Amino acid sequence: MRIDQVTILCVDDEDTPRIIRALMLRKRGYQVITAASAAEAIQALDNNAIDLILTDQMMPTMSGTELAKAVKATRPQMPVILISGMNEIPLDADCADAFVSKIGGPELLFATINEVLITYRLTE
Amino acid sequence: MSERDPANILMVDDQPGKLMSYEVILKDLGENLIQARTATEALEHLLHHDVAVVLMDVSMPEMDGFELADMIRQHPRFQKTAIIFISAVHLTDLDRIKAYQSGAVDYISVPVVPELLRAKVSVFAELYRKNRQLERLNRELEDRVAERTEQLRQSEDQLRERADLLELATEAIFVRDLDGIVLYWNSGAEALYGWRRDEILGKPVHRVLKTVFPVEFDEMQDTLARIGKWNGSLIQFTRDGQEVTVACRKALKAGGRAILEINRDITAQLKAEDALRKTERLAAMGRVAGIIAHEINNPLEAIINTFYLLRDNSSLDEEARYLTQLGEQELLRVSHITRQTLGFYRESQSPVDVAIPALLDEILELQSRRIEFGNIILEKRYRSRGTIRGFPVELRQVFLNLLGNAVQAMPEGGKLRLHVFNSTRLGGRRPDVRIYISDTGVGIEPEHAKHLFEPFFTTKSAKGTGLGLWISKGIIQKYGGTIRFRSASFRGLKMTCFQVILPDIDVPTSVETSAASGSTALAGVSNAD
Repeated sequence: MRIDQVTILCVDDEDTPRIIRALMLRKRGYQVITAASAAEAIQALDNNAIDLILTDQMMPTMSGTELAKAVKATRPQMPVILISGMNEIPLDADCADAFVSKIGGPELLFATINEVLITYRLTE
Repeated sequence: MSERDPANILMVDDQPGKLMSYEVILKDLGENLIQARTATEALEHLLHHDVAVVLMDVSMPEMDGFELADMIRQHPRFQKTAIIFISAVHLTDLDRIKAYQSGAVDYISVPVVPELLRAKVSVFAELYRKNRQLERLNRELEDRVAERTEQLRQSEDQLRERADLLELATEAIFVRDLDGIVLYWNSGAEALYGWRRDEILGKPVHRVLKTVFPVEFDEMQDTLARIGKWNGSLIQFTRDGQEVTVACRKALKAGGRAILEINRDITAQLKAEDALRKTERLAAMGRVAGIIAHEINNPLEAIINTFYLLRDNSSLDEEARYLTQLGEQELLRVSHITRQTLGFYRESQSPVDVAIPALLDEILELQSRRIEFGNIILEKRYRSRGTIRGFPVELRQVFLNLLGNAVQAMPEGGKLRLHVFNSTRLGGRRPDVRIYISDTGVGIEPEHAKHLFEPFFTTKSAKGTGLGLWISKGIIQKYGGTIRFRSASFRGLKMTCFQVILPDIDVPTSVETSAASGSTALAGVSNAD
């Protein structure tokens, strides 16, 4: 798939970070759909063709890892990347495909996304 | 026999007339006069009465006086009985000697001079009385001596028992006079301070031990004088220069002339508490740092991303573009810094399998002295392997805190129960590991219950950091677990139980987020979990 054919679901409960991250991804070339909560994310999954989920870890009601586990339960082939402001990897982070720190910089984020897509043979 | 009990005077003569005349002469003496006509009768009387004086006619038909006297003297009982011979016959000195030899005490010749007879009988009667009195007093004295000896023996036994107990005590126990001179030094003191009994008796104790008092010496003496006791901790030095901290109890004894001191070495305990406080401070910093990190990183990311987005914005000229580059660089530095300084301390990046029972046993080892000497009964029920995937250092922090609290809640002793078991949550596939730690100590007041997991909340006055439970809760939440407590009071007995539930990480978590709740049930029977 070409980069502009990949749709990323960008999940974050905080508006400004979510919007800016979405802009970043679009600038990079991806298609982006946003969700302000895990519940919204699950809805979006049902209504759209999503290729990868990039979700914040610390969210009220349902965390990133919980969302990852819920998604993988029904869509095991759906790539999920956790992004977090905590300087610490959650213990159950390996339920997702990758964990990236928010302050790792844009390059790190893009590299991680690319790696995961390659693993799932969604990009060349 | 008291001062003036009548003594028995036995008068032996075959002639009743003579007996009558003796009777007449002696009756005013106030003694008890007994008459006997024959030797046989005389012996009879002697056997049945305690006779003080025997008045005897030397020449009697049946048996002569000498023979009778002999016979009387045979009896050990009558060895000292006074025998007065009355003889009509003129006696030579030779006769007299014979009489004395046969045991007579005195001689009276006929015709009897009444005053003489009276005087002699009176004297011997009195002598008899005095003898009896003396005997009685002797006996009494002997009895009292026996009693006293027995009392002394008993109190000696008691003292020996007590001394033995003092020797068994592991505490240092010593007695000193008001100038500090050592009067008694037990083997506990020998062991603690390194000075043998014979080396320190008679020396001034606080000079030898180089005691450092927490308050003015005079203030201490004052308290001691006022209420007879003083408690506190002291710093002292052993023989080989090692510094020790002791919990000291002093008491004034022996009517204020001596001071008893009982000292318990708490150096190790203080070190352990110190170490715990340090790890708690570190862990607390870790927790705070984690929170700050999160708060900073979110906006930081937004700024980094904003600069990135500005990079290729066409409306920027050369200079503006350059500035955004600089901004990005500095932001990179900031991220680097927060990552270095605000990350949780973790000994490794990947979790390992931690067996909770073994972890608890390790911690019990550290607490073993306090448990052994603190009169605490330990009950362990490890019903499951209790394996958790995680980081040993932070898990240890949690149980160090909980076990430490339990032990500290029982200063007078009690029961410490540890249960590790599995239980299945509703809808879960793999069971949780549950760790219940309960104590029979001072319990938790209802007004404290809601603050228990707050930072800087402590009921331990000077000693606690107030961070232990807050840290523990934070760690347990990271594991997706729960911590709560139950405190109950039943018929004067209190029990507090802290319950930690750690889910198996692979279990799909339920929608509820991990939350800690404190609940208290007072004055009711607590249901055993």
